[in-house]
Amino acid sequence: MDSPLLPEGVKRCSTKAFFLWTLPWLGLLAWGGLSAFLCLWKGLNQTNMSNIFAFALWIVFDLAVIALGAGAFFTGFLTYIIGKKELKNVINAAVIIGFICYSGAIAMLGIDIGQPIRGWFIFWHANIHSMLVEVSFCITCYLMVLAIEFVPIILGNRQLSKIRELNIFGHNLHETMAVFAATGTFLSFFHQGSLGGMFGVLYARPFAARDGFFIWPWTFFLFILSAIAAGPCFTILCTKLTEKLSRKKLVPDNAIQLLAKISAFLLSLYMVLKIADTLGWIYGVVPRAGLKFIDFYQEGPYGVWLVVCEIIIFGIAPAIILLVPKARQHDGWLIAACLMTCMGIVLNRFVFIVVTLAIPVMPFDRFWGYLPTWQEWGIAMAVIGYGFLLFSAAYRYLPLFPKERELNPVTE
Amino acid sequence: MKEKHVPGKRYGMIIDLDKCTGCGTCTIACAAENNVSVRSDESDKERSITWMELFKITNGKEFPHTEVCYFPRPCMHCEEDGRGHHQPSCVSVCVATATKLDHNTGIVSQVYTRCIGCRYCQAACPYKARYFNWWDAYFPKGKGLERYLSPEVSPRMRGVVEKCTFCHHRLMRAKNLAYAEERRELEEDEYITACAEACPAQAITFGDLNNPKHRVSQLIKSPYAFRLLERLNTKPKVYYLSNKDWVRKLADNYLPGEFEKIMKLSG
Amino acid sequence: MELNRRNFIKFVVGGAAGIQMTPLPWKLTDDIAIWTQNWPWVPVPPVGEFTHVKSICNLCPGGCGIEVRKVDKRAVKIEGRTDYPVNPGGICPLGMGGLQLLYNESIRFTRPMKRVGPRGSGKFMDITWEEALNILAARISTLRKNGSPEALAAVDGNPIRSTMSLLIERLFKAIGSPNYVRIPTIEDTFGMASLLMQGTDGPMACDLENADYILSFGSGLSNTASKADQWVAAKPGTEAALALGLCHVIIKEGLYDTRFVNDHCFGFNDWSSANGKDHIGFKTMVLDSYSPDKAGQITGLAPGDIVSLAKEFAGAKAPVAICGKGKGALNGSLYEFMAVNSLNALVGNINRPGGVLVRDPLPLNPLPEVELDEIALQGLEKPRLDLAGSMKHPFTHSLINNFTKAIIDSSRSLVDTLLVFSANPVHTIPDGGSFRKALKKIPFIVSFSPFQDETAYMADLILPDHTYLEKTEDFIWPAGLQYPLYGLSQPVVEPIYNTKNTGDVILDLAKRIGASIGSAFPWSRFEEVLKERVKGLFDSAGGLVDHDGSTPAWQRQKEGGELNPDYKSFEEMWKKIKSTGLWYRPVHTYKTREVLFKTPTGKFEFFSSKIELAVNALSEKGSLDTALCDMAISGKGDEVFMPHYETTKYDADRSVYPLLMMPYEMINLASGWVPTPPFLNKSLFDTQLRGDESFFEINPGTAADYNLKQGDRAIIKSPEGKVRARANLSEGAMPDIIYMPLGFGHTAYDEFLQGKGVNPNDIVCAGKDPLSGLPVWWNTPVRLIKL
Ligand SMILES: Nc1nc2c(c(=O)[nH]1)N[C@H]1C(S)=C(S)[C@@H](COP(=O)(O)OP(=O)(O)OC[C@H]3O[C@@H](n4cnc5c(=O)[nH]c(N)nc54)[C@H](O)[C@@H]3O)O[C@H]1N2
Ligand SMILES: Nc1nc2c(c(=O)[nH]1)N[C@H]1C(S)=C(S)[C@@H](COP(=O)(O)OP(=O)(O)OC[C@H]3O[C@@H](n4cnc5c(=O)[nH]c(N)nc54)[C@H](O)[C@@H]3O)O[C@H]1N2
Ligand code: SF4
Ligand code: SF4
Ligand code: SF4
Ligand code: SF4
Ligand code: SF4
Ligand SMILES: [Mo]
Repeated sequence: MDSPLLPEGVKRCSTKAFFLWTLPWLGLLAWGGLSAFLCLWKGLNQTNMSNIFAFALWIVFDLAVIALGAGAFFTGFLTYIIGKKELKNVINAAVIIGFICYSGAIAMLGIDIGQPIRGWFIFWHANIHSMLVEVSFCITCYLMVLAIEFVPIILGNRQLSKIRELNIFGHNLHETMAVFAATGTFLSFFHQGSLGGMFGVLYARPFAARDGFFIWPWTFFLFILSAIAAGPCFTILCTKLTEKLSRKKLVPDNAIQLLAKISAFLLSLYMVLKIADTLGWIYGVVPRAGLKFIDFYQEGPYGVWLVVCEIIIFGIAPAIILLVPKARQHDGWLIAACLMTCMGIVLNRFVFIVVTLAIPVMPFDRFWGYLPTWQEWGIAMAVIGYGFLLFSAAYRYLPLFPKERELNPVTE
Repeated sequence: MKEKHVPGKRYGMIIDLDKCTGCGTCTIACAAENNVSVRSDESDKERSITWMELFKITNGKEFPHTEVCYFPRPCMHCEEDGRGHHQPSCVSVCVATATKLDHNTGIVSQVYTRCIGCRYCQAACPYKARYFNWWDAYFPKGKGLERYLSPEVSPRMRGVVEKCTFCHHRLMRAKNLAYAEERRELEEDEYITACAEACPAQAITFGDLNNPKHRVSQLIKSPYAFRLLERLNTKPKVYYLSNKDWVRKLADNYLPGEFEKIMKLSG
Repeated sequence: MELNRRNFIKFVVGGAAGIQMTPLPWKLTDDIAIWTQNWPWVPVPPVGEFTHVKSICNLCPGGCGIEVRKVDKRAVKIEGRTDYPVNPGGICPLGMGGLQLLYNESIRFTRPMKRVGPRGSGKFMDITWEEALNILAARISTLRKNGSPEALAAVDGNPIRSTMSLLIERLFKAIGSPNYVRIPTIEDTFGMASLLMQGTDGPMACDLENADYILSFGSGLSNTASKADQWVAAKPGTEAALALGLCHVIIKEGLYDTRFVNDHCFGFNDWSSANGKDHIGFKTMVLDSYSPDKAGQITGLAPGDIVSLAKEFAGAKAPVAICGKGKGALNGSLYEFMAVNSLNALVGNINRPGGVLVRDPLPLNPLPEVELDEIALQGLEKPRLDLAGSMKHPFTHSLINNFTKAIIDSSRSLVDTLLVFSANPVHTIPDGGSFRKALKKIPFIVSFSPFQDETAYMADLILPDHTYLEKTEDFIWPAGLQYPLYGLSQPVVEPIYNTKNTGDVILDLAKRIGASIGSAFPWSRFEEVLKERVKGLFDSAGGLVDHDGSTPAWQRQKEGGELNPDYKSFEEMWKKIKSTGLWYRPVHTYKTREVLFKTPTGKFEFFSSKIELAVNALSEKGSLDTALCDMAISGKGDEVFMPHYETTKYDADRSVYPLLMMPYEMINLASGWVPTPPFLNKSLFDTQLRGDESFFEINPGTAADYNLKQGDRAIIKSPEGKVRARANLSEGAMPDIIYMPLGFGHTAYDEFLQGKGVNPNDIVCAGKDPLSGLPVWWNTPVRLIKL
């Protein structure tokens, strides 16, 4: 039915199948829509956030998707600035994943603040000392960049590309992509870093506080590094998932392997620095606050297992897998390693947000627990639904994978 | 009209924990003075608003050797963020410049109409002194409770953060009076906070820490004076007094062997 | 236009700049900023002229000075006064929340009403004051016509000796009903202890200012007790044994004030009466029966601690022992108070600086005698339902528990009409819910409460009083104050509803009943009554009508300054009192001990002649044993007439109810007849109230016996009933005792109070305090069932 819209020379499932496929994601969106309405109408009392858990599920999701969306800028950087031509095969997918992650994050942030229609005060009354201002500026600008990067892909649609003006417009945009990629890279570096900085500068919360360089605590750099290590992994996961679902090979192995190799290198570097940072924290920040490392892991569900998981299981282990060429060339190992890397990053963001807030700072205060409400889950799940929808639609209607036709010649 | 500040004031407070009976009048006086909204369930301590929050601490010993001490905690009006920057933790992180340290008074202000409710400041404050309005202020029709609201402090809207302001409007009130009488300087008792004024045990002393004549600046010199979590280097302007070792010890974190050095105090 | 790269950039930049040039975005942003700050549902307090009105808080008998900040006609803040001697600057949480009582329309009665729905349904109909008063006057007249004025009863919670309570008592006298019942308070017990040992029925006070060692017979780890010099944790109800144990050590070690004891005390040594009968003295009794070992056994304290405590106490320069239970809203135990007072007497600490002060009543004018008509005379002959003042309870003024029991036990309605003043007995009386049952048997109930409390809810007629911020009333020498003080409140705001000062209502009612009752109330306004009484203060000469917190009168006096009254005429004095709310003499006058004691012996009596007379009188009607039994005394021989320890007798089987439940008052919760202002909920810990559930405190060891962890729910069951609450494990709690806060568990009021927590009074199984007959509310046998 929608065949005129489909890219030329590729095979897509039937309209009906596609429609059925979108239903669960539409369901998530509806859940999210209701949740958003309630949160905006009745206020944030619809959540289980509190004065203790000022940040909670949504911010964890925000930080996680932004880290995972880092594949976009980093692949762009590698493709356009460094000139890794083989990555042109994944760049479109990476850009869309990035767009989904960033737009989703900003939408969530819009609901997360208590006075959404005053949100622009961040720009209007900006406090240049606040890492969150840095984050907001960079994310907003970068989302615009992503949108601009998205436009030529949209214009690549079979019908749209027939319109001459649009075609020229798209082409021109494409020509300038290096400029945007450079801008995006710059912006992204900063906001990924600032997200880390946001927590590292909580100097009065010894669990999150970090020393650093100039105005940036070490978390600033660790967040950048972890994001660019995990971003490509997430891009790989998404393409692999698309390949599995469409039962087609979409990206040449060399592109995937290059991403995996880069990720392996970055993840290893990240782990070295993360371990150094953890030691620096244990022997610097923690005793300065009159505490011992173990003091943080005494109460509630958050024990030392968090550290073990984050560093060993979801850090060192995938790094080793990705470093070994034999292993990363094996699909199963590759996917497992990418998954572990992504989980490690999500866990890291979770720890910095939720565990930081759960651990009392005042010596006589007690430990607090938090469980999200269905409204909170709704908003978070809506981002997932939205991601699936947009990515599926993009895959269906846009020339997402330039090598798709070549790798899957239509046989009849 | 722009007011000229007499520079060099650092308003601060000292709370004598040995006098405090934990009666909670300070909490209530603060709420009454500052139009703090009351909900039907105030027992949800994670979401209720108490600018002056009372904590109860014990020495952890068994009956009958148990000792109890109450710990009233307003905003500390910190001067630094813990890493030597001359801004409290909450101020340096605020995205919309909705909270500021006034270097002429030492008061950390909160501008409700500018706050966007991002709650980053809550994450940054180690003393839990900041409260978010999870609900609209509760003034249902048919009760008429809004009739006691004071026009000196604006009631807050849902979705913004609020906290103790050292009753800033009282400073304004005192200054206006002084200016009307063509005075530039306030007397010690002309500006005191609602909690200090109300405390039946007279446990709270408020004044200018920079003025050596003010009682507060004399009291903080006591060897028994301390600040909550002093070693975080947030430089609070709220001090405490107690000659009980266990109380002072509980007010901060100490590694093994550290506290003994200052424990000799009470002989 | 050709869409090339150059034009493209031009287009984008130009477009963006263009939009900025239009006023649209600026206007919109400005509007948004304004909208988000002016939500229509966020109240905007009107501005206006600021004024201050000075008055007095009457939410408890403390009578603190308050200054109310007003904006035009609205009261916006209550503050403590620095020019009032009772409370230099500070006030308590309850007083601080007062405006929420004034302005919370959903808990107030805003006009007179009569019941239309079934009783307790809360369905009332508006009526006029005229109608309301006529209904009541007619009812009372009918009772009198039928020759049964005693079927009119009152429960009065106004402070003892206040003009308001005097007026109500007077009304009852004129009508001819003896059944004027007061809510018991700590003052009843203090008064009796003072009467029996010192001969004056005045309140006792301790001069804490000049005391250098304060020994508090606290029964709990209360907020304030944590600040006392010594906190002595005897098992509840055994404080007397502790006090006497201390006396034992002090006597044995010869640490007592021999001069005072020899010259001014009666009954210390063994003695013989005029008829030749030998009596043992306080000394012998204490030495025989209260050794540290024995006292330790009873109280659960270590004998060594008792010895060292006694030595510390006796060794101090100005030691004072204070007794009381909680905030004093409820009575104490008479023999216990006498025991603690003996301790003060032993160290000679009666009526001297830093000691227990024996006070004379304020020199207020008495009201003219009431001329009783025949009906009244006959009515007053009838026995009181509560037997207070009878031979069984000769020293007690009111026994509300007996009153309740009499009504419940009788097959007919002993009380036809009940008037309730400033009281909410359904909630506050520790009687296991009996009062509520008694109300059901009373045909007609009239409430004068300004608040929609539990008792008023059961009423047939509502004649709402003003709240304390809307009226004038007096405060006669607040409890515990060392020096004579008279306080006068004034309306802080104009009455905001159609309510009336109950004082005025009584005057009006008396006139409507007419005859001798009308003429017993010749005043047209309540204020005239107040003024007439105050004239006595003027006539007594002296006394100040203002107070300067920065240089208090006692300080000026110490420095040799003159303390001349600052008024010339009575009119001037009255005018000043009305504005300052105050008349006082800054210092206690220490009368010489020769004229101090008004006991039959003229001395401080360790052996109370009055008890002896009373017991003998009752014995004459039967035997000594039945007399003692009637008076609920289990002591034997001479100890009956002296302070001694009596084991609490429980009706309950202690093997079934092995724990004791002790209600306690919290400073930040109103446990009396006044509702708790919502602000106070902010100061409660979430280990006291969480959601709608209140907590009981329990020692962790005891909790372990019942497998209870922090926050666990349990049923606390007494023979009277059961309540459900959560456990708060507290190291400071005594083993085997369960502590439950008073002030929760309201069924009345609004969402701030209704249904929050449970009321321990509902399960109190009140025994009778020996001799006084007042309820023993502080240790109910209970058992615990974990949920
Ligand atoms: N109207 C009026 N008001 C007064 C006063 C007055 O005379 N009249 N007096 C004032 C004075 S002197 C006082 S002390 C306060 C009283 O008021 P508070 O200072 O509040 O003291 P309490 O009511 O005895 O108990 C409050 C606390 O004591 C604890 N509790 C009570 N008994 C025990 C116990 O045995 N063990 C443990 N672990 N906890 C216990 C509970 O944890 C509770 O938190 O009221 C003050 N307010
Ligand atoms: N069994 C039993 N006994 C108890 C308790 C209990 O719960 N159970 N509670 C204990 C506790 S916690 C306490 S604190 C005590 C309470 O017993 P009290 O100490 O007798 O009660 P307060 O009302 O605190 O008495 C303080 C006195 O100081 C006076 N005062 C106030 N301000 C001034 C001033 O500026 N100058 C002078 N000269 N006088 C002033 C007050 O008027 C009052 O007379 O009782 C203790 N005893
Ligand atoms: S008002 Fe005073 S005594 Fe009461 S809790 Fe506050 S500081 Fe403590
Ligand atoms: S106590 Fe918290 S809110 Fe107050 S100044 Fe310090 S950091 Fe800011
Ligand atoms: S919640 Fe308000 S005050 Fe706090 S950081 Fe955000 S904008 Fe600033
Ligand atoms: S200083 Fe003022 S605002 Fe701060 S806690 Fe005290 S009363 Fe409240
Ligand atoms: S309730 Fe009692 S103690 Fe509190 S302010 Fe009023 S009179 Fe004073
Ligand atoms: Mo007390």
